[in-house]
Amino acid sequence: MEPLRIGLPRGLLYYEYGDLWQNFFAALGARVIVSEETTKAMLTAGGVLGEVCLPLKVYVGHTVSLAGKADCLFVPRIVSVARQMYTCPKMMGLPDIIRSNINNLPEVIDTDVSLRQRQGSLAEAILRIGCRLGQGKIASLRAWYWARRQAGVKQPVIGGSVSDGLRIGLIGHSYLIQDKFISMNARDKLTAMGMAVITPEQVPVRQAQLAALHLNKKIYWSYCHHLAGTALALIAARAVDGLIFMTSFSCGPDSMISEIIRRKAEAGNIPFMLLNTEEHTAEAGFLTRLEAFTDMIKRRNRR
Amino acid sequence: MIVTFPHMGPLYITLKSLLSTLGLKVMAPPPITKKTVETGARYAPETACLPLKVTLGNYIEALEAGADTIVTCGGVGPCRLGYYAQVQQEILTELNYKFTMVVIEPDVLQVIKTIRQLAPQAGVKSVYRAFTLAGAKMNTLDRLGDMVREVRATEKLPGTADTVYQEAVAEIEAASEPGELPDICDIYREKLLQVEKNGQVPLRIGLVGEIYVMLENFVNLDLEQRLGRLGVHVHRTMSLTDYVRTHLLRNKPYLARYNEIATAAAPYLGHGVGGHGLRSIGATVEMAKQGFDGIMHVFPFTCMPEVIAKNILHQTSNDHEIPVLSLAFDEQSAEAGVVTRLEAFVDLLNYRRRL
Repeated sequence: MEPLRIGLPRGLLYYEYGDLWQNFFAALGARVIVSEETTKAMLTAGGVLGEVCLPLKVYVGHTVSLAGKADCLFVPRIVSVARQMYTCPKMMGLPDIIRSNINNLPEVIDTDVSLRQRQGSLAEAILRIGCRLGQGKIASLRAWYWARRQAGVKQPVIGGSVSDGLRIGLIGHSYLIQDKFISMNARDKLTAMGMAVITPEQVPVRQAQLAALHLNKKIYWSYCHHLAGTALALIAARAVDGLIFMTSFSCGPDSMISEIIRRKAEAGNIPFMLLNTEEHTAEAGFLTRLEAFTDMIKRRNRR
Repeated sequence: MIVTFPHMGPLYITLKSLLSTLGLKVMAPPPITKKTVETGARYAPETACLPLKVTLGNYIEALEAGADTIVTCGGVGPCRLGYYAQVQQEILTELNYKFTMVVIEPDVLQVIKTIRQLAPQAGVKSVYRAFTLAGAKMNTLDRLGDMVREVRATEKLPGTADTVYQEAVAEIEAASEPGELPDICDIYREKLLQVEKNGQVPLRIGLVGEIYVMLENFVNLDLEQRLGRLGVHVHRTMSLTDYVRTHLLRNKPYLARYNEIATAAAPYLGHGVGGHGLRSIGATVEMAKQGFDGIMHVFPFTCMPEVIAKNILHQTSNDHEIPVLSLAFDEQSAEAGVVTRLEAFVDLLNYRRRL
């Protein structure tokens, strides 16, 4: 029998859990097909959605690009990944958004995961997916633990020893910063300008969490909690010479935490820039802003 | 200590009654004006949602007028509302205002704790009385409000129902005993029933979406009144009473009702997305089945839950053959643009009805 082809759209939480999901499906005996890197056509396809953030639009494009290539698509509804925390409304409505806006979709595997109140939700999700792929309970759980071990724990590094250059903290959601198309490759552009770039995934979760304790109220969006914690940790340790917060227009949680981070950066006397991207952002203007910011930091540190 | 709070439509009547019966000195912020919105928008983060900006404007105006304590609500997400207080507090502190911010998290125990902290001298009996009175005012306002929306659509002389309602609001505000309110309610119901009719059959439009925009007439550019004048009976799906009973008191009949709406929404949206996104879709399905002529979906620009709902509602609209108009409001929403769209929508519904 031909193995089932499962499509994974390369967008949103793929950048957090993609390796894990790939390993899991492979261990369950499926063939995993990941969509290509983001293209202009994918963004155009996402234009059916109005008022939503850029990463959600390109996610729709990724899903469309998989339509003919996979037997089913994995579009999970990840409501919460930690107790008393949420991801964000778009993740909570993701499978519904996909179904309402794309015609002729293959089957969508849309398991709910909500660890907000019950830790058992993850195990249930694993069993449901395993069941859909014709595997028993033991085999499904074993596949998950194997996948977890394979994906491993990335060892993050923080500190100024990366290079002698000036250090810039580039704070933003993984699905924005790691997507070269929608982030206009900001990270590489900064590196090319001679900057050592520190991104949130390089900061240990625990360190970010400790730094986030200084907030008046815990941020209840998991990923933003990490972003804010990262920024606060970098500011407190004076581990960066400048901080860039990159967000996509209409991202709700970012509009709140960017305000808090800006104030903390100013209080810590670290230059801060808010970079807001949307589909009409022009690359030339974007580059100019990055150059102006890095030039300013260079001048500041020469004095 | 002079206590103030954010505006949200008729909320000030309930809150003012509650806090002053507890023995606190209360000052509602000045009514929202263009200047309030501009002030709020100037100091708030640019991409924050409209209620944050307008309520920030409320606080600034109230603090300028002499208030020194702000009572507001918290939240547990995923909507941004739960983080408003923290951001607004930082902004106001930076603007050098001296004030205390009391944030009430949505949980009955928290509410009691906050009241003890605000009004330590109030005994159990007076707290009970304060809540009963405020609750009765809220109920009466909402019941008469529902009626006004119906009467307005068919009144012969435009504005009659609103005049009666304004009188009722003034009496409700002045009432000092919970027992007075049923009488006020009866008197004004009678008065509203006697408003002369023009004999036309009104269109029925369901109003779904985000509660702040729905309740705050200044922000929604008097949406209900405008629709009423166009001969539309607006059925508003959110009210303060409903909100308090469902989300704060977790009242059983109201929770059961919420579950009904969630079930109706399930084929389109299988999980809550924060705020009222799920209700917007569920209520649309229900009202389509009840034969409503159309649905209006209102929310603040970039409101996360409602933007998700909006991107799904078109499917609901297609399947149930009911027209839906989604309108996002922000500080730049202009009267002319909104009026044109309302008129076009009402024309469309009238045309459909004649078919």
